[in-house]
Amino acid sequence: MDTVTFRAEVQGQIEEAGRADIVVGIPSFNSAHTIGHVVRAAQAGLAKYFPEHRAVIVNSDGGSSDGTMEVVRNTSIADFDAILLHHRISPVSRMAFPYSGIPGKGSAFRAIFEVARMLDAQACVVIDSDLRSITPEWIELLVKPVLSGGFDYVAPLYHRHKFDGTITNSIVYPLTRALYGKRVRQPIGGDFGFSGKLAQFYLTKEVWDSDVARFGIDIWMTTTAIANGFKVAQSFLGAKIHDAKDPGADLGDMLYQVVSATFELMEGYADAWGPVRGSEPVPIFGFEYTVGLEHVNVNTARMLKVFREGLVNLREIWMDILGAGDLQEVERLGKAGDGEFRFPTGLWARIVYDYAIAFHQRKLSREHLIKSLLPLYMGKTAAFVIEVEPLAQHEAEEAVERLCLDFENGKDYLLARWK
Amino acid sequence: MMDFIDLILEPLQEMLLRFKAFLPNLLAMLVIVGIGLLLAKLLRAILLKFLAAVGFDSWSDRMGFTTLMRKGDLWVKPSVVVGAVAFWMLVIVTLMVGLSALRVAAIDSLVGEFFSYLPRVFSAAMILLIGYVVSGFVSRAVLIAAANAGFHYAKLLGEVIRALLMLMILAMVMEQLQIATSIVLAAFSITFGGVVVALAIAFGVGGIGAARRIIEREIAEEKPQEKQDDIEHI
Repeated sequence: MDTVTFRAEVQGQIEEAGRADIVVGIPSFNSAHTIGHVVRAAQAGLAKYFPEHRAVIVNSDGGSSDGTMEVVRNTSIADFDAILLHHRISPVSRMAFPYSGIPGKGSAFRAIFEVARMLDAQACVVIDSDLRSITPEWIELLVKPVLSGGFDYVAPLYHRHKFDGTITNSIVYPLTRALYGKRVRQPIGGDFGFSGKLAQFYLTKEVWDSDVARFGIDIWMTTTAIANGFKVAQSFLGAKIHDAKDPGADLGDMLYQVVSATFELMEGYADAWGPVRGSEPVPIFGFEYTVGLEHVNVNTARMLKVFREGLVNLREIWMDILGAGDLQEVERLGKAGDGEFRFPTGLWARIVYDYAIAFHQRKLSREHLIKSLLPLYMGKTAAFVIEVEPLAQHEAEEAVERLCLDFENGKDYLLARWK
Repeated sequence: MMDFIDLILEPLQEMLLRFKAFLPNLLAMLVIVGIGLLLAKLLRAILLKFLAAVGFDSWSDRMGFTTLMRKGDLWVKPSVVVGAVAFWMLVIVTLMVGLSALRVAAIDSLVGEFFSYLPRVFSAAMILLIGYVVSGFVSRAVLIAAANAGFHYAKLLGEVIRALLMLMILAMVMEQLQIATSIVLAAFSITFGGVVVALAIAFGVGGIGAARRIIEREIAEEKPQEKQDDIEHI
């Protein structure tokens, strides 16, 4: 097993800290204007809810040029009395360093796992550096189930706008739920709590040169925890509001990294998901409440244009992956007008399974295969937006639930073709 | 009279002596060819089993070799084609080695030329094979990227890229085989340059109307959609 090598000064900081009960990891890249709030929330959460525990905040940075690490080192809560009434304030160590390896969130996490191992941490939390809606309670909700509840992995549960998280809603959640039988609603949420034991288990895996080192880390952590029998829970964190997305981030790359990591895990855990039928709920912590969500603009006409152009240009590739029957159904969809465009959930489930099978059988290069899914995903997303636009948030959630049931009911289709 | 008979017999005797001397060479050639043929058959059988074990036919399907063969009206399995090519290569090499066993000066020089040409044939075959795979990969990458960007002519673009790459690869192969090098080079330069100039003219001068319509259509499709996407996919 390769281990992470830290620079001498970081090594010194870790040795100085000695050991810690809780490690809060914050991966970052050019987040100077938001990370201060995240660090303050983490400090306040640790001080308020875990005053007796030794804690370290670790910023694993991807080479930011805007002074992100300096912000972490210099951020502190000026007036704890405004937040705390009677709790004892235990000092929280902070360390910020650039990680090594493939640039990406996964490499940043790996360094955090390694620090947690070296400090012999009992519980760890990872939180995004661009969060605007994080409160001190997030730390409690992600740590407490581990420290007091005996859970190894705590996935987040957010209220998100009904249009948001479409890769999660249409691919990752239904697929993970149908495969492994656990209803983890935000398997790629990005903010997780986990035990020190699980962090050490993650480090034993040789995945750090794959897409896991990038956007694939979230689904990898969730799936690895579920498939290896670790105790999994969810915590309701409220709304997830973060900084405006990077306009340069390519949807095709994101889709590729997340979906290829998901399919890759299917290969590795075929014995674990094969016998599973149906799904069961996962314990939820936290007090669920309704939150106001900002309006989300969606350009469905542009999405449908990409879908229809895909139909014209990628027909041969889709034919090879989906087969004549399903392709015919997809072609029929292409003829529908924008207003009445709908994507049958059963067809979408079969398409995702067909892609998983094609990935397994190496029908195309992996990147070409998954990127050829993008126009279909655009069509599915546009159809979902059109369908749920007039519906309330909970009704949109019911639509996601129906899709999940189609994935669960269609699992035999996958198994019959998985050789 | 005896002199006359000697005149007739002497060449015959000499021929008989030469044939006697040549006979072992002939036998050696026949043995070499016989063993070579048997070895070629054996190696073909082993190769076919190996290709079947590694799933060569499925790989060929994925890489598009099978489609290419079907286009060329070749309906056997790709592994059978590879086996046949290997077999006939071995047969030709065996024949050449066998012929060299005859120790005839003219044949020896022919065999020498054949063997000095073999590395070129091999490298040309490698260029063709790798070039075909690379051109397929690149054109598919272009096709998918363009289709995902919503470009209407993605398929055409992919095919043009593939054709240009194959043209370049074929010119490299011909150059490697030293077949009409100067003509191939000139033809390639003219064709490749011609395609580029034709495209430039088509879009710049001749196809100005079509180019305008395409650009206008693209702009017209984009213009009314000032609505931005705020959706978070992850």
